[in-house]
Amino acid sequence: MNRRTTKFLSKSGRMTIFYIFIVGILFVILTPVFFLVSLSFLSTREAYQYPLPILPELVTKFKLEGGEKGYLVSVYDRLEGEYQTVQDTDDLNKLSVYFKSQLSVYMSEEEIAERIAEFEQTGEPVYFTGRKNLIHNYNTFFKITRDAGPAFLRSIQIALMTIAISLTIGGMAGYSFARYIFRGRNALKFSVLFVRMFPGVAIAIPMVIILVNLGFYDKPFGLALVYSVGAIALTIWITASIFLGIPVSLEEAAQVFGASKGRAFMRITLPLALPGLAAAAMYAFLGAWTETVSAIILTQFNPTFSVVVYQSLLGSVGQVNLAAAGGIVFALPAVFFTFLIRRYIRQMWGGITV
Amino acid sequence: MATLTFENVTKRFGKVVAVNDFSLTVEESEFLVLLGPSGCGKTTAMRMVAGLEEVTLGNIYIDKDDITDLPPRKRNVSMVFQNYAVWPHMTVYENIAYPLRLKKMPKDEMDSKVKDVAKMVKIDNLLERYPSQLSGGQQQRVAVARAIVVEPKIFLMDEPLSNLDAKLRVSMRTELKAIHAQTGATTVFVTHDQSEAMSMADRIVVMKDGEVIQVGSPDDVYDRSASIFVADFIGTPPTNFLNVEIRRENGVVNLVNPHFRFTIEDEIFTHVQNYHKDRLILGVRPENIIIVDEQDALFSSECLVSEPQGSHQVVAVELDKSFVKIVAPAQPKIGPGETVHLNFKHETLRFFDPDTEMSIDLPVDDE
Repeated sequence: MNRRTTKFLSKSGRMTIFYIFIVGILFVILTPVFFLVSLSFLSTREAYQYPLPILPELVTKFKLEGGEKGYLVSVYDRLEGEYQTVQDTDDLNKLSVYFKSQLSVYMSEEEIAERIAEFEQTGEPVYFTGRKNLIHNYNTFFKITRDAGPAFLRSIQIALMTIAISLTIGGMAGYSFARYIFRGRNALKFSVLFVRMFPGVAIAIPMVIILVNLGFYDKPFGLALVYSVGAIALTIWITASIFLGIPVSLEEAAQVFGASKGRAFMRITLPLALPGLAAAAMYAFLGAWTETVSAIILTQFNPTFSVVVYQSLLGSVGQVNLAAAGGIVFALPAVFFTFLIRRYIRQMWGGITV
Repeated sequence: MATLTFENVTKRFGKVVAVNDFSLTVEESEFLVLLGPSGCGKTTAMRMVAGLEEVTLGNIYIDKDDITDLPPRKRNVSMVFQNYAVWPHMTVYENIAYPLRLKKMPKDEMDSKVKDVAKMVKIDNLLERYPSQLSGGQQQRVAVARAIVVEPKIFLMDEPLSNLDAKLRVSMRTELKAIHAQTGATTVFVTHDQSEAMSMADRIVVMKDGEVIQVGSPDDVYDRSASIFVADFIGTPPTNFLNVEIRRENGVVNLVNPHFRFTIEDEIFTHVQNYHKDRLILGVRPENIIIVDEQDALFSSECLVSEPQGSHQVVAVELDKSFVKIVAPAQPKIGPGETVHLNFKHETLRFFDPDTEMSIDLPVDDE
């Protein structure tokens, strides 16, 4: 082997290892997401099979024949490769309900009656298919989970309030940390991080007492306040560094050329700080949207969506496929918001290099 | 066009005095340069004119109007910043137009003004670009365009050329001077670069530690430096300083150094007639030391280093354990180790008090 070949091989070897590594990372990141999405589309029967199907069945195959108590209904099982008997009854309503709740197949009693008539005519087993309703789990989740819809709206409301509070206060604080030198500046900057050191559970009791006294217990605004404490801290750190990166002279120039201090800030500094504010908003949103522990403690009749999803994992409603559907619904706004902001941040970065 | 007057202006930052009792009048259409090392208060003085720093004591006037406590936007001054401070989220056009927009100028008028000014500073082909797409020199031009489009009473420039590369800096000097000639705006220009100051200024204000050391034309501060600091700060290479003893013998004045001794003629030395200490510091500019034949030499020394500059050469010799630099004609070449015979141009010698470091031979104006 000459040197060039060796070099080529060592380079391609390195690239191979690099890509194996990247694919490995992607696999680790995407597998749980894929699993959750797939699970949320499985029918209850599929969800409790072992091993769990990797992909949901889109169409369910049925076999109908005569049985001891009436009609024997079998469902084709992909894993076993054969029909498995699931019901032996002559109660059409029971069959229809079973199809819906266990198999996510919406088939009316009349449609089932037609199949039975077919069977009665020929005496031979009748094979037919039913299209699976993919959003069955999602429908069911909102139907059977107490308060899921209002809780969803409430969570959005809380997240938006958290953004508003933390950006207003944190943004202003970040600006002063970046622009002004004042007594106790460093101590204050540290204390801002200090508040994030306490887990919600650790300070649950004082939090409840304070919120009750303020009259905000079990109210969205109360939770927004609690979330803002942590979000403000992060906002201050993000915005302070962003404001630090924007030269004071840009604002000063605007003042010299005829803008008031406030106007110079609004027209010059604020637009340039938007990427930082967007990032801070994203963190505030995600923090408020996903937080569960404090929400469990601080709400009673007005839970947030995260609490609802958490509860769907427990007790009588505890069905994994329903919980997965709830989880997806729970994740979507966060994903949506993150992408919305991300695009915006990139847009801003295209325009400035300060 | 306006005059700018500082009246006993003092600026303190806590206990630090940045500018101390600064009084000065900038005349109409004058190009005044504030020159000094960093931290001398020159930028602070300028920022007080812009209203970006509060004045601790004293007053600032534009014409007859006291602007000391006015907010920046009401002062009718404009400024070019060291880092250009062009707004990165606005196009070149918007950058230049924004000050006019703030003045609520009608659109048509604004548009033609922006285009005129852009043409004047040669960026009329860049109007739609964003600053991040411009070179440093182009951004500089945008900053200048923005500053002249508002037709200010006072035009402030805070080290506008210091971020440019050496060659561009020199060519921008010429352009800024040309623009000044065209607009005739009263200009205050801050720099720490003495050659920039020399080449651009109508008058130079040399500052140090918040104090004004000397105010004068470039020739004044160069040829008649008020102190050792000024003589050292201005000129490349700087003035050479030599300790000498004054010996008054038989009615003539001799200046004596371990290496040389010479009689100074009365008419040159008149300014120091009243000086009664027996030592002084002799200041001699490198171009005022001349290479002569051996018989005319005041002293001789060995060349240590010579730096050819094309048009001339800088020769360093050792005297009194310090370098003395000489600007000599480019030819003949002088190499290290070569002995050079030197003399001073007597009429150019400056004399400084070793204690106060101030000049003792400044011609008195009212004589």
